[in-house]
Amino acid sequence: MPDDTKPRQPPEPQPRSVPPRPRVKLTIDDREVEVDAGTNLLEAARAIGVQIPHYCYHPRLSITASCRMCLVEASNSPKPVPACQMPATECLVVQTRSALVKEAQRATLEFLLLNHPVDCAVCDQAGECKLQDYYQEHDAQPSRLAGPKIQKEKRRVLGPLVTLDQERCILCTRCVRFMCEVAGEPQLGVFGRGSHEAIDTFPDKPLDSNYAGNTVDLCPVGALTNSDFRFTARAFFLTATPSVCTGCARGCSVWLDHFNGETYRYRPRENVAVNGPWMCDVGRLSYKPLVHDRALEVKIGRAGEGRTAEGREAARFAIEKLKPLAGSERLAFVASPTASVEDLLATFRLASEGLKLKRVFVSGRAADKGDRLLLREDRNPNRLGLDWVAQAFGLKVEPFERLVEEIDAERVKGVLAVGEDVPTDPKLVASLLLNLDPVIVLATNLGPVAGMGHVLLPSCPCSEDDGTFVNFEGHAQRFVAAYRTRGQSRPHWTWAATLLEELGVEVGWRSARDVFAELAPRVAQLAGFDWASAPGYLTHPRGLRTLPAAADARHGIHRERS
Amino acid sequence: MPYKVSNEKLTLREQAYLPEMIRGLGVTARHFLRNLFTRRDPAPEILDREGPCQITTVQYPEEKVEYPPGYRGLHRLVPREDGSPRCVACYMCATVCPAQCIYIEAGEYPADDPSAPNRVIERYPTKFVIDELRCIVCGFCVEACPKDAIRMDTGLHAVSSEERRAFMLEREALLRGPAVEHPSDPWRKREDSSAPEHGEKEAHRRISPRKNGG
Repeated sequence: MPDDTKPRQPPEPQPRSVPPRPRVKLTIDDREVEVDAGTNLLEAARAIGVQIPHYCYHPRLSITASCRMCLVEASNSPKPVPACQMPATECLVVQTRSALVKEAQRATLEFLLLNHPVDCAVCDQAGECKLQDYYQEHDAQPSRLAGPKIQKEKRRVLGPLVTLDQERCILCTRCVRFMCEVAGEPQLGVFGRGSHEAIDTFPDKPLDSNYAGNTVDLCPVGALTNSDFRFTARAFFLTATPSVCTGCARGCSVWLDHFNGETYRYRPRENVAVNGPWMCDVGRLSYKPLVHDRALEVKIGRAGEGRTAEGREAARFAIEKLKPLAGSERLAFVASPTASVEDLLATFRLASEGLKLKRVFVSGRAADKGDRLLLREDRNPNRLGLDWVAQAFGLKVEPFERLVEEIDAERVKGVLAVGEDVPTDPKLVASLLLNLDPVIVLATNLGPVAGMGHVLLPSCPCSEDDGTFVNFEGHAQRFVAAYRTRGQSRPHWTWAATLLEELGVEVGWRSARDVFAELAPRVAQLAGFDWASAPGYLTHPRGLRTLPAAADARHGIHRERS
Repeated sequence: MPYKVSNEKLTLREQAYLPEMIRGLGVTARHFLRNLFTRRDPAPEILDREGPCQITTVQYPEEKVEYPPGYRGLHRLVPREDGSPRCVACYMCATVCPAQCIYIEAGEYPADDPSAPNRVIERYPTKFVIDELRCIVCGFCVEACPKDAIRMDTGLHAVSSEERRAFMLEREALLRGPAVEHPSDPWRKREDSSAPEHGEKEAHRRISPRKNGG
């Protein structure tokens, strides 16, 4: 019986430390390079910045050497050899740019493109397609095929998230190997023979794995496409910003692909400590609340009878209502572990120092089924962060059920809620809140709970502000603002600052960085965390990047790190 | 090119002024009377006109000058024979447009669409809007289109209107003109997006899906 609680980490690309492998020296393109014995030539070349084109090779998957794109000339072989499969050996001399290699690459590409439909205008992969890239680089000649091309199925729905175009496929079998080796659910196979070979699922067995979306990222061409992202945006318009998935407590590192102030998809960002290079489909679709049903207007009064207002006026109104209950057990402070550390620091300061509260009730999304690879049962990205911050401010953490009990017993009269997610039925919670006054809600999305607020202060999620999430293992990860805040929505910490100012406490926060700099020293666990140099921050310029992807220096990662 | 000014001395008749002036008025009066009493040839091309009338004015908008071939008129979305647009919403025109006046949203035809071209090419523009006020009529969109789906061959001026909204031409207004199909169009090679049958029996085709276990 395998240990279900421990996540199965994908295989590491680094060599195992014991016993240390001997180092070997070899020459690649007249440059000497020293690598561990057994490292393949493709990785050895990459170590000195020589890029060898390849389709089927992936550092996290087994090697098949089926695409033949990485052929190089090696001194121990009379014919070109695939660099991905050839181990580095002492005194080997490798040529990656000789005339023979160039001709081999050109010929390989000509064969791969022989039956390719060249429907780039329709294909989602256009702009991040290795066939397009390598054609420009290594082939660049018209097709010499005289007869008709072989036709295969162009729109095969493999599962809930993946659609396959068999004509575009070059049969690198990355997807098949991924499903077998990493996901552990061998749902894909290669069927047929010769030119009629095609990737497919087994009869009556859909590709319904929670990790099926990774096959889309792995596919170097446009064969596997994401049914959710399909046809919504062109890849060359999108800008990638480093972010953190908010789908579960794992907090996978992701690229948030956005254009024109709207998020279009998540793609996994390699982070060996957290998620490797993968992410699950639940997380992949968790970008939707960033786009849909957002709370964008400051509202005074409950849904149906409310009116829009200016932020400052609403804050004053909220403080007037909250002030009589300050310091009393009858005012409940509810915080959601979906908010970032910075948001929690600011709002906890409001609760503990501004309103003199002693307890925090933890809301957040309800637990759901996890799995053995990445997905956690806890669907909140920052529960540990919330515990740390509560500890730092001396607030007692209470479960949400306790709040329900206290409201039932009429011990709680008013609620200040940070985040609208609740672990039970939102309509039930809304009916509980109906009799309370005041209910002040800082919400990112509209819903029954947000609609109950006497004051609704719209907040922005992780796509629109900088911040930090702490995952269940204690890894603090930074996310970066991708685009400007929408409508009247502001980060939670901005509302906390406004409310504190209405209480007469001056705070000089101008950014999430200021909040962290001022309040994070109270959190002992975050002592070693350097906010500004956290992963993903230095590689990207500070502040907002509003240029479209085609014009800016987009980070080199598309489908893989190369 | 500078020309030589004649500095010849005026004759006595010219110095007298009045006879020369009357001669000049005569020329004007001759033209006036000829254009007044003879009928104008309605051919709008000036060089094609015949008859004594020499009026060169084109009575726009009753008469219109024919534009030369290659004139970039109002855009149109080229229809297929079945009336659907040839456009596949690839965004090439929107990408190349220097004025950023093209807005596209892509959609997907269902697999069992009644029209064969739509079954073969599933992608189409659900929205295709050109802001004619922004358009600088450079024709890059026509150049960029890989599907011969947008043309400026209508020979029409941009619309005129008193309100800005009227210049935002939607898909329905743009989809006009004669249908265009080429021999290379994919729907001429297959019926739908499924794999066509081929001669050889394949191993996996012999496996029939089992419906009720066993």
